[in-house]
Amino acid sequence: MKPALSVVFFTVSSGAGLGLLFWATLARLMQGPLPGFEMAVAMAAVLFTAGLLSSSLHLANPRNGWRAFVRFRHSWLSREAVFAVAMYPVTALFLWADAHGQRGLAVVGGALLLSLALLVLVCTGMIYACLKTVPHWRNWQTVVAYPLFGLMSGALLWLATSIGTAADQALPGTPMHVGAMLALLLLAAGGALKLSYFLRFAREPALPSLNAAIGLPPGRVRVLDVGHSGRTFLTDEFVFALARERARLLRWVALGLGFALPGLLLAIAPRWSALAVTSCLAGLLVERWLFFAEARHVVRVYHGDGAR
Amino acid sequence: MKLGLVIDLDTCVGCHACAVACKEWNGQSLMAGGAPDYDGHGAAPSGVWFNRVRHYEFTAQAQDTAQAQGCGHLNLSKTINVPMSCLHCEDADCVTVCPTGASYKRAEDGIVLIDPEKCMGCNYCAWACPYGARELDTDAGVMRKCTLCVDRIYDEQLPAAERQPACVLACPAHARHFGDFDDAGSLVSLLTKAREGVALLPELDYKPVNRYLPPRAAPEVDTGQANARPANLKDRLRAIANRLIEL
Repeated sequence: MKPALSVVFFTVSSGAGLGLLFWATLARLMQGPLPGFEMAVAMAAVLFTAGLLSSSLHLANPRNGWRAFVRFRHSWLSREAVFAVAMYPVTALFLWADAHGQRGLAVVGGALLLSLALLVLVCTGMIYACLKTVPHWRNWQTVVAYPLFGLMSGALLWLATSIGTAADQALPGTPMHVGAMLALLLLAAGGALKLSYFLRFAREPALPSLNAAIGLPPGRVRVLDVGHSGRTFLTDEFVFALARERARLLRWVALGLGFALPGLLLAIAPRWSALAVTSCLAGLLVERWLFFAEARHVVRVYHGDGAR
Repeated sequence: MKLGLVIDLDTCVGCHACAVACKEWNGQSLMAGGAPDYDGHGAAPSGVWFNRVRHYEFTAQAQDTAQAQGCGHLNLSKTINVPMSCLHCEDADCVTVCPTGASYKRAEDGIVLIDPEKCMGCNYCAWACPYGARELDTDAGVMRKCTLCVDRIYDEQLPAAERQPACVLACPAHARHFGDFDDAGSLVSLLTKAREGVALLPELDYKPVNRYLPPRAAPEVDTGQANARPANLKDRLRAIANRLIEL
């Protein structure tokens, strides 16, 4: 699949924004006043909104973008859009109730916000996992990856914004310490998930046979001619060539920058959480790019790429 | 009704006439909304096609031949031309995933269509299609696809014989047939039954309506290796006459 950079940025940025909002809200609900809450909410809003705006860049006809909300009952993309936009009023409700000391309403609004943030991320995962045409995506790892990576990068961001405003709170037993432990746990889980995705990827035969694709009995089928001399929409969109060596390198970059390095930084020097966040987001951008670039669409079989 | 095509892989000669006729009709069709070309006369021509023909070589392996022959299919090796357009699936994921409702499947005849007024050009439906039936028109920013020439098949201004998709009318090998699969007596149903027409990629379970008729085993042709004496007098005289001519 051709990695659309706008979608790569959208999922990483919005995911991090939602994760940050998730942890900031949860901490606020559980701990009351915490340093950096306003800063975290503002940053989450910027990341999330920037992501949403970026996602509209890959539309060939953005004028009809508003129509994406109408097929909620059928399409995961529509569900994602509805839940994503619903984040704004729900967040506003929570912030208003929180600022005006309406504890009950804040709890309700906060709970709604937390579940909605997770729902948006699950919907994003389902957009890819529901496609029968891309066997690599059609598994639970894809559905879990989006919420998990969102919460993971969000936890790092929350840590960074909080530590930035309260430098000496990362002592054992403090909320910061708990946050750091949580972020480490999420990084470990995320790294393990991505590793299992890569391992499964290498093992599984990806695509159906050409015989099934053109309805022939058993026997050897090979492509003589694909019928066009130049590029087509199909080759542009689905027949994305990624050299094996380059993919291998990028996998290690994604695992290293996205999971290992932030974990290491967090474990030995929590003060450098800003660096950990930067590394994590950069790693996730590579991870997301690879997620598309490595996935092989069934239509490639007709072009001669698949199980023989 | 369940309208669709039967495509005969045995007789298709791979001439691309169907694809060109499709382009000619739908390039101007109001219903399909056009199939633009990009850089048509330039160095790297490209464009939107609702119908593409690909060419494959099939070779039956020794261990498969018995099975292939058992099915009445071809036994040796053959070039197989495969024209592909929208298969108008009964369980069309392209329609399910569409967030705007631009993609829809008509209840009355099962034709899958796109409403260009609603499409936002997100490509998601093209991702959901395993057959490569949908292509983005980057000029208009909307997805395009085969309409089964919905603006021909119901047009009463046309002579009855021409109320068929342009690709079917154009095929010089009569390898394409259009009709109603719900009608057990229609040509498409009868052909599918008689020739064991297959659905492409059945394991994905999209229940495509279009059927492909597999290539048949060609009857053995007597190549006249026979130095053997003809059996009866008539053939023997004929053989002598043939030899006299060749003298």
